[in-house]
Amino acid sequence: MMRFLPLVWAALMRKPARAILTLLSVMVAFTLFGLMIGLNATFDLMAEKARADRIYTWPRFGGDGVPVAVARQIETIPGVKAVTALGFIPGYVQDPKNQAFVVMVDQNADKVFGDWQIIPEMWNAVRKDRTGVVMTKAQAQRWNKKVGDTFTIISKQVKRADGKTAWTFKVLAIAEDVPQNSNGFVFGNYDYIDKARPLADQGKVSEIDLLADDPAASTEVARRIDRKFASSATPMQTITEKLARSGNDFGGLDLKKITHGIALAGMFMVLFLTANGIAQSVRERFTEFATLKTIGFSDRAVTAMVVLESALPCILGAGLGVGIAAVLARQIPKLMPPNFGIPLPTISPMVILWAAASAFAVALLSAVLPILRLRQMDIATALSGRT
Amino acid sequence: MLRQIFIVSALNFKSLKGRFWQSMVIVIGLAATVGVMLSMLSMSAGMRDAYVKAGDPNRAIVVSKGADQEGQSSITRAQAPLIADAPGIAKDRNGKPLADRGIQMGLPVLRKDGSKGFTTMRGLSDNVQGVRPELHIVQGRMFQAGKRELITGVGAQAMFQHMQIGDKVILPDGQWPIVGVFASGNLMEGQLMGDTETLAAALHRTAYNTVLVRLASPDSLDTFKKALTTNPALSVTVKRHSDWYKRVGNQNTFTLALLGYIVGAVMAIGALFGCLNTMYAAVSTRAREIATLRALGYGALPVAISVMLEAVLLSVTGALIGAGIAWAAYDGKQDLFNNSVFHLSVSPAQFELGISWAIAVAVLGGLFPSIRAARRPVVEALRAT
Repeated sequence: MMRFLPLVWAALMRKPARAILTLLSVMVAFTLFGLMIGLNATFDLMAEKARADRIYTWPRFGGDGVPVAVARQIETIPGVKAVTALGFIPGYVQDPKNQAFVVMVDQNADKVFGDWQIIPEMWNAVRKDRTGVVMTKAQAQRWNKKVGDTFTIISKQVKRADGKTAWTFKVLAIAEDVPQNSNGFVFGNYDYIDKARPLADQGKVSEIDLLADDPAASTEVARRIDRKFASSATPMQTITEKLARSGNDFGGLDLKKITHGIALAGMFMVLFLTANGIAQSVRERFTEFATLKTIGFSDRAVTAMVVLESALPCILGAGLGVGIAAVLARQIPKLMPPNFGIPLPTISPMVILWAAASAFAVALLSAVLPILRLRQMDIATALSGRT
Repeated sequence: MLRQIFIVSALNFKSLKGRFWQSMVIVIGLAATVGVMLSMLSMSAGMRDAYVKAGDPNRAIVVSKGADQEGQSSITRAQAPLIADAPGIAKDRNGKPLADRGIQMGLPVLRKDGSKGFTTMRGLSDNVQGVRPELHIVQGRMFQAGKRELITGVGAQAMFQHMQIGDKVILPDGQWPIVGVFASGNLMEGQLMGDTETLAAALHRTAYNTVLVRLASPDSLDTFKKALTTNPALSVTVKRHSDWYKRVGNQNTFTLALLGYIVGAVMAIGALFGCLNTMYAAVSTRAREIATLRALGYGALPVAISVMLEAVLLSVTGALIGAGIAWAAYDGKQDLFNNSVFHLSVSPAQFELGISWAIAVAVLGGLFPSIRAARRPVVEALRAT
């Protein structure tokens, strides 16, 4: 097929403007395609990495948190393996626009989150140094911090006993990010906020996370927790990590459906464009194709040439488009307003495969009609130019 | 001149049939662009509508100074009577001011598809019907003051599980029955309501979130505002209820709208290249026709304008098709996002938006081809095959 390349190239370059505009249009559509399918890849990755045995529970009416005693009660529920209590410090860094979030963990955090990319030294560092935090690379980059720097978060929700709202920490270590949490996270020692808060707020936590003995029973364990506290002073809202990270739930929107729809609309748009381009190109060179057939080019050879001519801008455009999507995906945190709430697209091998498959599909579909026309052409009529 | 434009354009449109599939590139490109964009914007537009309708220019909302959302606001029990006694508030038959001390909180719910979400639960004090006449019971009865019971909106009933009369809602220290269903034609329909004082006690709330008052007349806002802002015992912000909800609606739909516009813009760029491609092809197909016209004495401008008109006609046709599909598929459908229940909307304003994007793409995509058409030397074009 490659021996036709010079011929096909010449055909494309006969109308360079058309070739370039088609290429650009295909490229834009595939940029969108890459971002959309890349977003799906992120959801799939999150769902895949989600642990079936991990469960989150927090107070249904959670303004002031839940007594840490609830965590101890949950430990006694059958099927529960390990329990950790977390305190959240929601707030901002320097300016209310820069929203930030610190998770304060108790001594058992590593038992429940052992699969996260936190090495034992990091858990221990936070245990030993109560005013220290560990942040992941994504957060370190966002706040421009390195080990040894101080990190201050201002929180209106979590006040200190002296009424001040600033919480200052030392950065002890930078950890790897986990796919479940692509925006990264910062964690410190729960003891620190507990002791520093007003007496009335002490002993309260924001969320309790746990592992079930048996992953298959985690939904049942979650239901047990909800039932146990349903009529208590602090009714709990419990969800398994698998369900929480099923991925396509963005405020109740089915993002998977939306992203697929957008990607499909983009493909439909370029399909029409490329199909027209190739049809026109073949129409213009009908006599030439007749000549080729006359000098002995087989139907297969002519078909190959048309497919190649149709595929070249598609494949090239798809490659460029997905490449741009990959670059954009990395820039999204800088371009979008903070706390945009949508995870970053991942340009995984699967995305590239889908893009390539779609590009081929568009190329082949575009070439079908012109090929049929060329096969059925009457060489004599075509050569005489009466088409 | 106008006659020339008319004649050239008429000739032009007559030959469109021969270039049907080529022209469809523009139509399909814009249909896909506008269809996708308006489908996405149907969410933000519908949600914003629900917010805007929840506001009323005859009401004023009082929040603590600097509060952006009702949930961030806190009005103490000592401040509430000072607000209710201020001038400018409408009175009920007994001469009592129409002021509603409200609290609100997030309420976890189970969506119809089984996923977990949340909505808003509000505490309303007496004078509910006086302050919010749009809220009316359609099934069951109103909640009673002092009783641990709730009413649910028709939207919440449609979108969430366990929202029938008799169903129980989990609250601290016990479960509350639903005793009635209400309609209000706005955002409130996706929420649940109960008695402020009873809810506050159950939730250990010591303060209200907001005070909502019915103004004596729309013009009395200034009187009311002045009375509150000059009272040293109060540190509050007073906003016309309609302005408040307009702003909060915009704020809460910002992300959704932004996504819609970004996706629309990317697709529009793709469509623009398609449009350029088609229009260049069109002027080269029509080169001889155009040259003949020019030889007959037609001006360059009418030729250029006719090319532009063609691009605009095709783009707008595409935009109308796309908008029509989005309208048929989504307009009026009930949906939810975060804690808001609303009806998706593809309104005439959205159609206008789609059409204006189409015109922008057509002008950008038709400009250079039309210049080329007008500039091409007549002799050369006539010789070309």
